[in-house]
Amino acid sequence: MQKKLIELQNQAKDDLAKAKSPDEIERVRTKYLGRKGVINEIIKAIPSLRPEQRSTIGKLANKLKQEISKWIEETREKFVVEERVPGAEEMFDLSLPGKHKPYGHKHPITQTIDEIKGIFSKLGFDIEYGPEVELEYYNFDALNIPPDHPSREDFDTFYLDNKLLLRSQTSTVQIRVMKEKKPPIRMIAPGKVFRPDTVDACHASMFHQIEGLMVDKGVSFSDLKFILTFFSKAYFGQDIKMRFRPSFFPFTEPSAEVDISCSICRGKGCSVCAYSGWVEVLGAGMVDPNVFEAVGYDAEKYAGFAFGLGVERLAMLRYGIDDIRLFFENDMRFLSQF
Amino acid sequence: MKVSYNWLKDYVKHNFSVKELSERLTNVGLVVDTTTPIDKDSCLDIEVTSNRPDCLGFIGIAREVAAVACNELIIPDVDYATISEDVKDITNVTVKDKELCPRYTARIIKNVSMGPSPEWLQKKINTIGLRPVNNIVDITNYVLMESGQPLHAFDFDKLSGKKITVRRALNGEVMVAIDGSKCTLTPDMLVIADSRKPVAIAGLMGGRDTEVSDTTKNILLESAFFEPGNVRRTSRKLGIRTDSSYRFERRVDPECVDWASRRAAKLIQEIAGGEIAEGVIDRNYLKKEKTNVTLRIARLNSLLGIHIEKDLVKDIMERLQFKIISETKTSLKVNVPTFRGDVYREIDLIEEVARIHGYDNIPTKSNIGLKPIQENKFDVVVEKVRNIISGLGFSEVITDSIVGNSQNQHDAIWSDNSSIKIVNPIRQDENLLRKTLVHNLLRVKKHNQNYGIEKTQIYELSKIYLPQKNDKIPEEKECLCILGEEGFLSLKGVVEAIHKHLNIEHKLESTPYRFDLFRPGKSAKLKLGGKVLGYIGELSSGTIKGHDFRSTPCITELNFNLLVDMANLESSFQKIPSFPTMMRDLAIVSDEKITWNDIRGCIESLKIDYVDGIEFFDVYRGKQVEQGKKSIAFRLIFRADDRTLKSEEVDALQEKILENLNKILGVKLRT
Ligand SMILES: [Zn+2]
Repeated sequence: MQKKLIELQNQAKDDLAKAKSPDEIERVRTKYLGRKGVINEIIKAIPSLRPEQRSTIGKLANKLKQEISKWIEETREKFVVEERVPGAEEMFDLSLPGKHKPYGHKHPITQTIDEIKGIFSKLGFDIEYGPEVELEYYNFDALNIPPDHPSREDFDTFYLDNKLLLRSQTSTVQIRVMKEKKPPIRMIAPGKVFRPDTVDACHASMFHQIEGLMVDKGVSFSDLKFILTFFSKAYFGQDIKMRFRPSFFPFTEPSAEVDISCSICRGKGCSVCAYSGWVEVLGAGMVDPNVFEAVGYDAEKYAGFAFGLGVERLAMLRYGIDDIRLFFENDMRFLSQF
Repeated sequence: MKVSYNWLKDYVKHNFSVKELSERLTNVGLVVDTTTPIDKDSCLDIEVTSNRPDCLGFIGIAREVAAVACNELIIPDVDYATISEDVKDITNVTVKDKELCPRYTARIIKNVSMGPSPEWLQKKINTIGLRPVNNIVDITNYVLMESGQPLHAFDFDKLSGKKITVRRALNGEVMVAIDGSKCTLTPDMLVIADSRKPVAIAGLMGGRDTEVSDTTKNILLESAFFEPGNVRRTSRKLGIRTDSSYRFERRVDPECVDWASRRAAKLIQEIAGGEIAEGVIDRNYLKKEKTNVTLRIARLNSLLGIHIEKDLVKDIMERLQFKIISETKTSLKVNVPTFRGDVYREIDLIEEVARIHGYDNIPTKSNIGLKPIQENKFDVVVEKVRNIISGLGFSEVITDSIVGNSQNQHDAIWSDNSSIKIVNPIRQDENLLRKTLVHNLLRVKKHNQNYGIEKTQIYELSKIYLPQKNDKIPEEKECLCILGEEGFLSLKGVVEAIHKHLNIEHKLESTPYRFDLFRPGKSAKLKLGGKVLGYIGELSSGTIKGHDFRSTPCITELNFNLLVDMANLESSFQKIPSFPTMMRDLAIVSDEKITWNDIRGCIESLKIDYVDGIEFFDVYRGKQVEQGKKSIAFRLIFRADDRTLKSEEVDALQEKILENLNKILGVKLRT
């Protein structure tokens, strides 16, 4: 019996040495240590031995059991280590792609508005909002737009019943704010505006504008230039060139259109800038005295400037988007780029 | 306005190249859109803003160039010889509506020789895109472009009664225009008529019957001032836009009316021969008011943020042909010429100075101090919510506020009133303001599915427009609509995450509610503190079929204003517990009708301090559970503030909880 146990010991050692995978080790374990394994069979047979043999064989069997267990553990560990060694048969493919959890994207228009809000916040401009369904008074009258002005015609403004309309510009908000608050005022008002334009790559019937207004004692055109230059450089980059040129808006005087040097061609001329080297980004001007009169401000005491910008236009210039309709189609392949 | 580079030099001698000229014009507010080389000339396409009709003629543009370049403006001579016969003996003009026609002049030129105009004239008008017709038409076009004053030449012999009446059209009166189109007129339109019929629509176009032709001998030359608003309305109504109407709409210079007539008469005499009758018929009802404006130099400097001297201001004014009537040490009194109807206030003069002095010469500086910005709770909540939803994998969309009828159904939750209509929509089938965002999101999903994107987790945070019973102004409700693709409970989890992060005191309650859009039994109304927050549901199979969806989206629409109101932005730190928690995972078997709310409520009703949390895992129905029953798995979390709980204590509490569940709800531990 003792001899048999020694044989078993060697046999187990051999088997383990031959084992080439964790599965084979497991098979060896079952063979020797399993419930119906060789060792258990011996232990089960002990009661049938002679009494003087029983304790010796029992001890030896248990010792062997422990030894085999130990060898199995060692062999297993060796496999784990080997698995990590490059050049082993199984290799971890480091080039496999990482696992992704989906994350959402804010709409590029939201991102653009947020960025612009951030820039003007640094300059102390509050954020204001106003209704999209408006009275003619706020959209036109108070903004010094005469009753027969073309922008009031029904191919430039959406009309609702009851003399209501969908605002065609966010300038309405400057009137509402001035009617409610006294100077000093610094504000920007982002929001949707509506115009019955036929939709194409450059026109949408709904788009976003940001109106800005600053009113205080002694505000000048020079302040206007400073603030709008600060903004344009913060948004488009410090190395852009600025151009302020005279223009006309009913609610500002003097009025200006603000161009920046074309970032696509760096001023040399391309299709984006219509080969002029400049792209228009803002409309602005000193608040017209008639507007101050409409809101009850003393134009001799206070001065101010207002400006307006098209959010889609800025985003299109910034990202090189050539079709405004993309913003409202909401194709995930578009949205997930921002 | 198209301008020939060479032709412009007739009125101002300057040394600017085409490029320099374009830049100079742009810098005074006359944006040169394009410059096109033609022959040895260049055509500049200039964008003239609506307040500057004076720049709709070469002389007006030349005036600006002269002001910028400090050069002299050259105005052509309009003196000519006449025959002794007086125009008043040949014809007569009666103006019936002096409001719509405050000035009308007529001259007669006899015995003209019709023919093509000379080469120099043809070449000039060709450069700016006009097609030569004959000498008389070309001359009227030439003077129109030169002065900005539209003119019309009638074949005098074809005018019935040999006289002109300016009157409103009769209802249904018809005139065939020069271009052959038949115009049916209405009494709100002004016409030029002979003794029988209209021969021109005032300011728009002449009639075919009286136009000059090869056989014309005698001409009646019209130059007038028509009321701008009426010309515009008539032009829109008839769909006729001409070089004439474009200028009358914007207001012509009342003083230029006669000058342009003389200029054309002189050219006709020079080019087509003919004899000009003595004098002019000039029906002039315009009030001759002088526009005098005082400009304070200090005001100018403070408004522009510059320091310029009075002398420079004077110089700029005079270069623009404004007259200085008088001056003090600190101010100027300025007479504004009639061609500048846009200038009548001090601020208008300040703009003129700024323009000509150059915006570039105004410094870019400021000393606006610091100003703290006001708190804006709405923006803070929007930012928080957007961050949460984006983080959970939803992308933001922006859709149109204007929708068709099919997109405005299923909206009773926000308003029963019928949608607000747009009177002048672009498309007749999209003429309503939306009362819900749901259908717009479904549309976005459909668009993406068409491009092979199977799952579209999206949201929109925008306004809906709710008509009010007692107010004509609608309520603009800020709504948050989310479309989820991972089942009802995942979407509900998003709402709960928002609720939690906004630190809202009230519990989020959901009560079963039946919507047509949603699967029966799988939609609920959501409430906060008794107020309706919105609704949530899984799309019904009908809705899914109707849209051809290949997945089963769930949608929630929330009143965002309510979330903003209830958000508590002042959160404070809570101490981290010092002792560990003990957990027990349980599976119980209950009747179908027992809800998770019942189970949680039953546990909470015991008010055991040591119960720190009850977390739902899942519901199981199937082979291992009795028919008609379900197995609910959840976790109980126990914790004490002052010590580590002993295993036996927790066992006892668990036992107590299970006993109570069994007693109240008849629920048993699953074995
Ligand atoms: Zn460019």
